[in-house]
Amino acid sequence: MPQQANQPLPAGYVLNGYRIEKPLSSGGFSIVYLARDEKDVPYAIKEYLPSTMPLRNDGVEVKITDDANLSLFRHGLKCFFEEGRALAMISHPNVVRVENFFRANETCYMVMQYVRGRTLQFHIQRNRHEFTEAFIRRTFTHLMNGLREVHARKLLHLDIKPANIFVSMEGRPVLLDFGAARITLSEEMMKLKPMYTAGFAAPEHYRFKPEELGPWSDIYSVGATIYTCIAGTPPQAGDVREEKDRMIPLRTLATQHYSDDLYDIVDSCLALDHLKRPQTAFELQKRLMEEPPEEKASFLETLNRPLSKLFQR
Amino acid sequence: MRFTIFQDSRQGDRQGNEDRIGYSYSRDVLLMTVCDGMGGHQDGEVAAEIAVTEITRRFQQEARQVLKRPFDFLVSAIASAHRAIVSHAVEHNLLECPRTTCVACIVQGGRAYWAHAGDSRLYVFRRGQLVAVTQDHSRIQQMIDAGEITPEAAARHPDRNKIFSCLGGVVPPQISIGRELPLEAADTILLSTDGFWAQIPPNILANMLRKQALVDLMPGLLSEAHRRAKGESDNISVVAMTWENQDDARIADTSNLDDEQFATSANTTQQLDVDTPVEDVTDADIERAIAEIQDAIRKVPR
Repeated sequence: MPQQANQPLPAGYVLNGYRIEKPLSSGGFSIVYLARDEKDVPYAIKEYLPSTMPLRNDGVEVKITDDANLSLFRHGLKCFFEEGRALAMISHPNVVRVENFFRANETCYMVMQYVRGRTLQFHIQRNRHEFTEAFIRRTFTHLMNGLREVHARKLLHLDIKPANIFVSMEGRPVLLDFGAARITLSEEMMKLKPMYTAGFAAPEHYRFKPEELGPWSDIYSVGATIYTCIAGTPPQAGDVREEKDRMIPLRTLATQHYSDDLYDIVDSCLALDHLKRPQTAFELQKRLMEEPPEEKASFLETLNRPLSKLFQR
Repeated sequence: MRFTIFQDSRQGDRQGNEDRIGYSYSRDVLLMTVCDGMGGHQDGEVAAEIAVTEITRRFQQEARQVLKRPFDFLVSAIASAHRAIVSHAVEHNLLECPRTTCVACIVQGGRAYWAHAGDSRLYVFRRGQLVAVTQDHSRIQQMIDAGEITPEAAARHPDRNKIFSCLGGVVPPQISIGRELPLEAADTILLSTDGFWAQIPPNILANMLRKQALVDLMPGLLSEAHRRAKGESDNISVVAMTWENQDDARIADTSNLDDEQFATSANTTQQLDVDTPVEDVTDADIERAIAEIQDAIRKVPR
């Protein structure tokens, strides 16, 4: 991911009634801030700011110096609007909620609910030993509720990965970052698009053929995400696998016991032939909800553990 | 804008024509481009074709109103043409990347701006004088500049066709930009490939342009260039424009063009005067998108 070349808004700056506290993260397209409204309610505010274009060296205004950049900047803005539209249409506990959207400082801002918790990425690095089969099945079953809602709106997420899945303090997974939702394939967009994340993108995603993309492409990314939860590292990149598949079998990387059924589910999600994957989020969800017979005891045992213990730090 | 424009490209005595030229104008901005695909390199005409097409495409995309920074536009469009040629070579697994020279000129607000890479030239003539000329990116020009060789000897030098900057190839082009030149009525800007300028010296041109109108003069001069090469003529290409008296109602005025309309002509095989492919995002589009999103936020129960 390209480094953000632009200055973040300063702490204490009041943006349309929201007081900026600090930047939370920055990516190829944007900076996300923690901010609070007058009632002290926290929000995550995403500022559209393509990292590859130098737009703000000082102050708060975005300044665009030439026509080519203005054109590029505004075409990227279209993607930002797509994300806003996508999220505004969805109200679901497993999809991040957008609360407001406005224009200021010559760019646009999306105000989202602030979820207390950590990304799945963080937990993979710190708490992977806690990822029992039951935890994985439960988390991803819930996540599939959110993804079903996304797909029902005829949207594709197209960038599902551990860093884009938030796990709230109560253990609720929340799908974040719809910046890649609905790709546009013009050459101008290619210049702006932060590259899909190697390892998580389906092979058809690399080919940039929109007609090949579908819910099954998001399913591949979900499979890669579960793979990473178990292995600690993502699978070999999809485009490389298509040339010569050297993906390390998941069971050889596992550090604890998982059922054959779970390995089979991950394998099927990661099938290079998209027709061999579960075709819908619902289909994957059903498979995740089927308890593997031999695992019954430990599965129930984990379920009975207080949730807070799963995330002790 | 009131101007008269002439362009023509002839094969000369070569097997094919590797020169590509074109112009495109809207109500307020004019672009002229001349590219000389490199003989001896595979698909020289492909490189010239891509360069003219790409620069014109960028122009039609970005020059819907006047260009805010014409020099930035020229450099960026030429650089993107270079990248397009390299991508073409990679996609088609060409052993050698096709190459081309390029000279391009923008006229807007009564001022001319130009940039070039290689040895295709731009001249500006005013009242019988040559008042501006591009410096070729050639070894021979460096020798002339260093006083190692006279211009007369240079015309016969075996290395006179060797250039050190071009589009395509492994090294990104060195792009030189001209100065911003305020135009006066009857100024003529002429862009040409070496098949023309090597045969017709600028002082002759300057003289003749004072006596004859551009469109009457040029066809004969192209034939003269061909004749002077004595059966060994390179491709001969010229795009030239005379800036007219802006109050002369007899000359066509570009203000008859509709908003965001372009008139385009080129000898590329691809049609260039298609409507701009990418729609620009206007302030109104932005406001509309935000209103839609806010509306959706209000409607969906939370």
